[in-house]
Amino acid sequence: MIYLDNAATTKPSKEALKSFNQVSETLFFNTASIHKGGRDAARLLEAARGQILNELGLGTHHLIFTSGATESNNIILRGMIERKLQFGKTVLVSELEHPSVVNVLEHYKDKINLQFIKTTPQGVIDLDDLKEKLNDECILVSVMALNNIIGSIQPIEEIGQILQSYKKVYFHVDATQAVGKVTLDYKNVDALTLSAHKFYGIKGAGALIVNDMNVIDPLLLGGGHEKDKRSGTVNLPAIVGMAKALRISNENLTQKNDRLEQFNNKVRTHFNDYNKMKIQDAQSPYFINLSFVGAKGEIVVNALSELGIYVSTTSACASKSNELNETLLAIGNKNDVIEGSIRISFSQNTTEEEVDALIKGLDTVYKQLGDILHEV
Amino acid sequence: MKYDHILVRYGELTLKTKNRMMFVGKLKSRMERALNSTEAVVRANRDRAYIDLNGEDETQVINKIKHISGILSMSPVVKIEKSIDEMKEYAVKFANGFEKESTFKIEVKRADKNFPLKTHDIQQLLGTEVLTHEDHLIVDVRKPDYKLMVEVRFDAIYMYSDVVLGIGGLPLGTGGKALLMLSGGIDSPVAGFEIMKRGVEIEAIHFHSPPYTSEMSLDKVKKLIDIMSKKTGEHIKLHVIPFTDLQTTVHDHVPDNLSMTTTRRIMLTLAERLATEIGAEAIVNGENLGQVASQTLTSMFAINEVTSMPVLRPLLTLEKNEIIKKAVEFETYETSILPYEDCCTIFKPKAPKTRPNLEKVKQFESKMDITEKLEIALKNHTIYTDEENNSEEFTDLL
Repeated sequence: MIYLDNAATTKPSKEALKSFNQVSETLFFNTASIHKGGRDAARLLEAARGQILNELGLGTHHLIFTSGATESNNIILRGMIERKLQFGKTVLVSELEHPSVVNVLEHYKDKINLQFIKTTPQGVIDLDDLKEKLNDECILVSVMALNNIIGSIQPIEEIGQILQSYKKVYFHVDATQAVGKVTLDYKNVDALTLSAHKFYGIKGAGALIVNDMNVIDPLLLGGGHEKDKRSGTVNLPAIVGMAKALRISNENLTQKNDRLEQFNNKVRTHFNDYNKMKIQDAQSPYFINLSFVGAKGEIVVNALSELGIYVSTTSACASKSNELNETLLAIGNKNDVIEGSIRISFSQNTTEEEVDALIKGLDTVYKQLGDILHEV
Repeated sequence: MKYDHILVRYGELTLKTKNRMMFVGKLKSRMERALNSTEAVVRANRDRAYIDLNGEDETQVINKIKHISGILSMSPVVKIEKSIDEMKEYAVKFANGFEKESTFKIEVKRADKNFPLKTHDIQQLLGTEVLTHEDHLIVDVRKPDYKLMVEVRFDAIYMYSDVVLGIGGLPLGTGGKALLMLSGGIDSPVAGFEIMKRGVEIEAIHFHSPPYTSEMSLDKVKKLIDIMSKKTGEHIKLHVIPFTDLQTTVHDHVPDNLSMTTTRRIMLTLAERLATEIGAEAIVNGENLGQVASQTLTSMFAINEVTSMPVLRPLLTLEKNEIIKKAVEFETYETSILPYEDCCTIFKPKAPKTRPNLEKVKQFESKMDITEKLEIALKNHTIYTDEENNSEEFTDLL
């Protein structure tokens, strides 16, 4: 099996699993218990919290642990909107967002004025359009750091700087795909969400990072864990695994990314003159979004799956819905390109042999589909 | 804006003349200690200090030093070539960060008198340049929202506009040493910070009565020490005194409504002995006149009677909300309000005397012999510093 759907989820690293097991065996205590075991567990929890904040260069921000990015996005977007509704209604969001952002905002569509920031053909948000749409009535801007469909990196630092002149606006960044793949400056971000299983951690652990705890209006009420912001017994083993996984995926990141860049270019070069195929530009070496023009992406995914190669149509979270992918639409693709698109996503452990097998597999499917395909 | 330096202005130490460099030296070493995990380099001269950021983030560097006493204020600075074009370019960059429709002023200090443009010329040139690019801004030389400072020095031109206030005071280590009575509540850490601001080093004393007071309440006090140490760049020593035996003795011999007074007297006695042992010249506490029964003037009179050492009470006359505000600013507040039993709350009498009679107190005390118990408590005390906390106990897991 060759697994190239790492943007959907990654295989947990051995180190993260080891921490997970060790904590499960020796520090399984409830972090809210007052006996020594509980207090040791609580100290470990705080150490994990500090380590994750420092890895992201956000040492002075606050972090609460959640079950993952969807929960984090739900908590923070609801909190921010409810808090700011009295001051304005406009919410600006990129066209590239994940459903766990867009659907929360859609939920509020009768109360807010939801506007989408335009995207350049490279899949990056148009800063001029952002500036144009910003006004004194704007309360929230939400932009994902690294797009999960084509791998475009958003100018988070620049957006943060632009928003400095709009004191009322909250800036939310969904960094779920970015964390562990690219180092960005999140200094001016008011809230950041992330999820362990995207960077070789264990599923069921995530985080919400904020510069002001008051913005968080808890979704889960109960025993008062995480400073009353997210009740429920803390999943310490998975959280410790997440801290470990993040530290390890950030180690030698430049070298790791250079290696993936070579693999990425190898695929692109090989298919460069295939006239019935379209490859989207990407900034992150982890992503290749390519279309078999005329076919349905799902057919290509199935055909590759038969060959033991696992990739995805658009994004796994939305793979089963039949609507055209918003990101590919936003950057100006024609319908047949969007319909025929698949997403290949590498991991830091992807090998050259796997990349060669992928190229071979794609060639096989390209021949197999033959006349069904047509020119771009 | 990419800043390359932090300009640090000194506080009260500028009033010193002959021994000023001693104060500057102490301040410099405090800043260096706070920044030792970074690439930033401190250069301190008689009137101000410059921190070369060497690529470090200016906000993080400021956050690391802003609680060091002796610093009046800090400004992130860009150092540019002595060229008119460059000056213009940066003036616009700075103005770009000013809020819409706000007012500004350009202030020039021209130390290099050979620079071709005069002070007034520079002001006019840069003002015009800013207004051409940012036409929503308005010049106001009297009460501007923003000041863009331009300093023409011999080596380069320095430009800045933000001024971040420090805490002022005198550099730590220039004013001797005191012992802080740290309970775990809101007030005592603030009292510690206030005294440290005057250049006085502190160690702390805490009374622990297990199992009546929990390990969590001791952890909380340790955490306060961690925060205070981090903020001041110190490794503040915490002396933990085992107090159960003394506390139960008082409980057995002194009536409920006077037990608080006696307990405090014993605490102060122990504090004085420890202070002498560590070479401290004063005791500091967070008492606030009239706040609780032990802090009425009559109570203070009865409690203070056990020592002739100065007892400093920097919060004596502050309003509670002023103290809370300071605790929030020093970031001890959230820890202080954690709901664990501390040494003051467990044996709390239902109705302590607000006007305890010293003679009566002494009468009851004369019936209990605690001489040996005091010795034992002092002898068995343990010491904690934040360095212990930095032990890498979880390195394997994380």
